[in-house]
Amino acid sequence: MTVTKHIEMRGVSKAYRFFTLQDISLDLEPGQVMGFVGPNGAGKSTTIRLAMGLIAPDIGEIRVLGCRMPENQAFAKRDVGYVSADMRLMPNATVGWHMNFAASIYPGWDADYAATLVKRFNLRPEQGARSLSQGEHIKAALLLALARRPRLLILDEPTTGLDPVARHEMLTEFMDVLRDENRSILFSSHNTVDVERISDRITFLDRGRMVASSDKEGFLDRWRRIDVQLPQGAALPELPHIVGRASDGHFHTLTTDQFSELQLARLGNAVRNVHRMNLEEIFVANVMHHRESRP
Amino acid sequence: MSVVTRKLIAKELYVNRWFIGGGSVTAAASVALAAAGGGAFNIGALTWLTTVIAFGVMLGIYGVVNERKEQSLQFVLSLPISIADYVRAKLFGLLLAFLIMWVAATASAVLVVLLAAKVPDGLLPYVLLLCFFMLANFCVVLCGALHARSEALVTGTIIVTNMGVSVFMFTVGLFPSLREHMFGATPVWNTTFFNVLIVELIVLVIAVVLPLVTVSRRRDFL
Amino acid sequence: MYSGIYISQTDARPMYLQIMEQIRARIAARDWPAGKELPSIRALAAALNVSVITIKRAYLDLETEGVIVTRHGKGSFVADVNGLAGELQDQKLDEHLSGAAAIAKQMGLSAEELAARLRRAMKETK
Repeated sequence: MTVTKHIEMRGVSKAYRFFTLQDISLDLEPGQVMGFVGPNGAGKSTTIRLAMGLIAPDIGEIRVLGCRMPENQAFAKRDVGYVSADMRLMPNATVGWHMNFAASIYPGWDADYAATLVKRFNLRPEQGARSLSQGEHIKAALLLALARRPRLLILDEPTTGLDPVARHEMLTEFMDVLRDENRSILFSSHNTVDVERISDRITFLDRGRMVASSDKEGFLDRWRRIDVQLPQGAALPELPHIVGRASDGHFHTLTTDQFSELQLARLGNAVRNVHRMNLEEIFVANVMHHRESRP
Repeated sequence: MSVVTRKLIAKELYVNRWFIGGGSVTAAASVALAAAGGGAFNIGALTWLTTVIAFGVMLGIYGVVNERKEQSLQFVLSLPISIADYVRAKLFGLLLAFLIMWVAATASAVLVVLLAAKVPDGLLPYVLLLCFFMLANFCVVLCGALHARSEALVTGTIIVTNMGVSVFMFTVGLFPSLREHMFGATPVWNTTFFNVLIVELIVLVIAVVLPLVTVSRRRDFL
Repeated sequence: MYSGIYISQTDARPMYLQIMEQIRARIAARDWPAGKELPSIRALAAALNVSVITIKRAYLDLETEGVIVTRHGKGSFVADVNGLAGELQDQKLDEHLSGAAAIAKQMGLSAEELAARLRRAMKETK
């Protein structure tokens, strides 16, 4: 039995005057968390908006929960929770009003869970939307999205403007979603620490293109920084899969995206140290390499 | 019309409740003032006009443009609706909001014309034409606000349509076949009246239907 | 029970290794006795705020080591091997001893000097 993927994009492109999103293909399976990482302007928000049906692709196909987007977005969005960092509640209404509004629209609304979240996120139902800070808007939007227990959560920089405690609360709620293997999360973030921690798959975007997409442990396993000190007069041996190199006299730091024992064997005694790289380092190295090969 | 669309229409009324209430009361009050006749009539009439215009403008701006700016558009679009559903909800919601206030304003104006001794009943046809002009005017503003992708365009539409009010008063108000009966004791319903009314209604219908045909079909909403 | 497991952000070792070590430690200390059911992968992921794939990897590697046993559809259990706890402790001891031996060699200590240091350490340990 083939399980419906929660998000499926094939060859999606979208052109704007100063920016083009090109050839995006990605898959999100149920029970997965996909982290979306990229510099500002890379196209993360555009991709997310395409997934939500708010804009239509020029080329390519998009399916969310099996529904074609943007044609069937009304149906798909019944089971999708969407929060973006620049989202605001409707002015002239309170948090409580929004909760009642959501409860009347979504059959899956869990009033008890909503009440718990209100306390946990430090919000009050009587608060008017106008008096909320940016962080509180996001927390309110997340509350409204989480309390209806949607199958798919699509989050665009959801931890922006949150203090560390609120961020921790947020991540705990997200991970709680994953107790159900039928639910999944797509989230974009600048915070590579969070992405590294909770993502199963990671997709890197830069300048409108997908630079890499793979499961997280794969990335962390394949990338290494190798510190090398060459003896007098020796040259750096020919090595496969070196994507970055910094040299300072006899000292070289090599960055590889396909670490293997072969590389260590060729370098032999010249190797001083091998470091694993965290997601932020991998991301920066990946983007730099990508930009060099595609100026 | 889906459940969500209906709830969004109700939301439009809820969110603008102060405008609707305040506008209705102000319009009714200014018309009551006009009942005194003479200078009070001019002040009252002018206030009435300003209230109805301003109300329409505010609904256009706060109802459509600011939602885009205040970023609550994303929240609304995250609801299980299509772009067409959103346009319908906005159109009918804001229209309904305006209508409530407009009915109060028109009814009070008609009552004052008919009941106030100092105000000649002959004014009734002109007053009705003016009321329907304001309604058509609002529909044009709404149509423009829904189409426009920039605040500048909406502002432009508002300015142009409001200039139209003065134009209306100085042209239609000076039509001989209307003018000659305005200060009489009984209202005269002649062909000119019906012609102007029909034009107003046609403009109104076009302004309301147009977004349903064009903006609803858009595939990009942001 | 598993809220005691902690993943350090500043620890350079990969998260799955940290988890594996902490599970092994609990088994070695007999806090998690033979046959005890481990938390489900998703439950542990949610409790630790860590991706499911990381927990999966930790469990997989622990199974390869023979420390845990996964029964399809039923869950994962601490391996019911006699002396597993002792084995793990043996492993840990050997790791530490090889580490000490390597440092001793670098410092140029002899085996007797190292043994003397070890005796002193055992006296000082409560």
